[in-house]
Amino acid sequence: MNKCIATLIMLFFSIVMIVPFLWMISTSFKTPAEVFQYPIRWIPAHFNWSHHVKVWTGDNSFVLYYLNSLKVAVLSTIGAVCLSALAAYGFSRIEFKGRNTMFMVYLSMMMVPPQVLFVPKFIMFEWAGIYNTHWALILPGMFTIFGVFMMRQFFLSVPQEISEAAFIDGAGHFRIFSRIILPMAKPSLATLAIIDFSWHWNDYENALVFLIDHDLFTVPLGLQNFILENNVDYNGMMAAATAGIIPMILVFLIGQKYIIEGVASSAVKG
Amino acid sequence: MKASWMKRQQYLGYLFIGPNMIGVILFFIIPAIYSFYLMFTDYKFMNPNTKFTGMANIKRMLGDDIFYTAIKNTLLFLLSVPVSIGLAFIVAVILNRSVYLKKLLRALYFMPYITSGVAVAFVWMLLFQPNNGPINGILRSIGITNPPGWLSTMDSSMYAIDIIWIWFMLGYNMIIYLAALQEVSTELLEAARIDGARTWQTVRSILWPLVSPTTFLLLITGLIMTIKQFGIIQAITQGGPGNSTTVLSLFIYQNAFRYYEMGYASAVSWALFVIIMIFTVIQWLGQKRWVHY
Repeated sequence: MNKCIATLIMLFFSIVMIVPFLWMISTSFKTPAEVFQYPIRWIPAHFNWSHHVKVWTGDNSFVLYYLNSLKVAVLSTIGAVCLSALAAYGFSRIEFKGRNTMFMVYLSMMMVPPQVLFVPKFIMFEWAGIYNTHWALILPGMFTIFGVFMMRQFFLSVPQEISEAAFIDGAGHFRIFSRIILPMAKPSLATLAIIDFSWHWNDYENALVFLIDHDLFTVPLGLQNFILENNVDYNGMMAAATAGIIPMILVFLIGQKYIIEGVASSAVKG
Repeated sequence: MKASWMKRQQYLGYLFIGPNMIGVILFFIIPAIYSFYLMFTDYKFMNPNTKFTGMANIKRMLGDDIFYTAIKNTLLFLLSVPVSIGLAFIVAVILNRSVYLKKLLRALYFMPYITSGVAVAFVWMLLFQPNNGPINGILRSIGITNPPGWLSTMDSSMYAIDIIWIWFMLGYNMIIYLAALQEVSTELLEAARIDGARTWQTVRSILWPLVSPTTFLLLITGLIMTIKQFGIIQAITQGGPGNSTTVLSLFIYQNAFRYYEMGYASAVSWALFVIIMIFTVIQWLGQKRWVHY
């Protein structure tokens, strides 16, 4: 009985948590006159698809933003996972001089707020000719200190005897890495990939600083752009917000287990 | 033989770490050093005549009223961290024990954290509309005749941002607490129950102390994460009305990329670095002193 009551209370508050999303979806199907009607009409009298049509086929089409975001997020994530795994292997399973110093440098970089790096990166990218291109997001996105930490944590948990046995059989580090450690690390790699993808997909700050041309806009910038240009079209705003959120909700539903475990292990063990 | 093996290890180590290290040097270390240099210059966007100005930017910062407003707003923003952690603890304790639909509930609470900050920012902007927004609609209907202006007035705007941020971070904090609560041994809780401890007593004198390392960790990392955050605020209010939601990180962004005062922005960003370093040192000391693993 107690359990039922607890469930109901928790369910009630969880609905409070997602009410903004429900209101967003509901509003995206309303007519302008219904937006601020009170009491709130959760299910509109007539489903009005025109705002969604406008979001996807209008001048600021979300098709473009999706493609841009997909390009940036996929390339960054592939790079980040490969390079993190490689470095994490070096940091955890090869002993060499200077390793701990290098790791301390990595640690200290976590303290530097992104704001410190924005201006110099802006100047450097301008100089290198990648400012206002997708490379300004993809290249730095391929290097994640968090990813190295996470993978290192996992590699450290693999018994050293496995490597020793492989050494005796004549295998080198590259063989051990690619044939033994990586296959074992599949769940960790998937976790890192999903978390990293969600960061890149939602990244607003870097896109805001490094992109100017409308053709290059990713979903968060496209969304902002749409809303600034249609700032009285509240239904359109909510249809756009829905378009901005749906992919991440899908990713979350598919990779829920990985995301939650990854987030939990990053804080508790890291 | 041994020496050549060592040499080979050295070489292999660099080969594995090298590719990542190049990126860290290019995108973290060099920019950090460069920024440190810019702090002492009058660098402006596209201005070829950059002069070395010594301490001028730091003096300007210390005499800048908006800098102090930004610090005050940042402190108001940080209020959201303990509130979100407290709520998350309560939710986690209940979800960890006697409920049905555990997985669904966990996912629902976690949902805000995974969604795009910009999208939710715009949703909240409408929810918080002072005259006809749904939140004030509900407040009026329960008898509050003069509900707050939320994002539209200077004295309530920062609290409205706090509410959004509490909502955003709650799921994250809850997940971390759930992970920590799973480590608490069930025997301990059984023993407490047999000794006649009530639920509230168990929570207060067993669970809360046992998860104290997690609380500490969430507090410090939450403070650091919140101090760095400006995207949601930039999307909703751009720091307004007045400068009432200009937090330090947004102040830096605006100086750099709205006014192109990049030397000045670099100086303020190093002030932000000092604050983050203080929190990091506290975390480091705190782990040694009173957090028991």
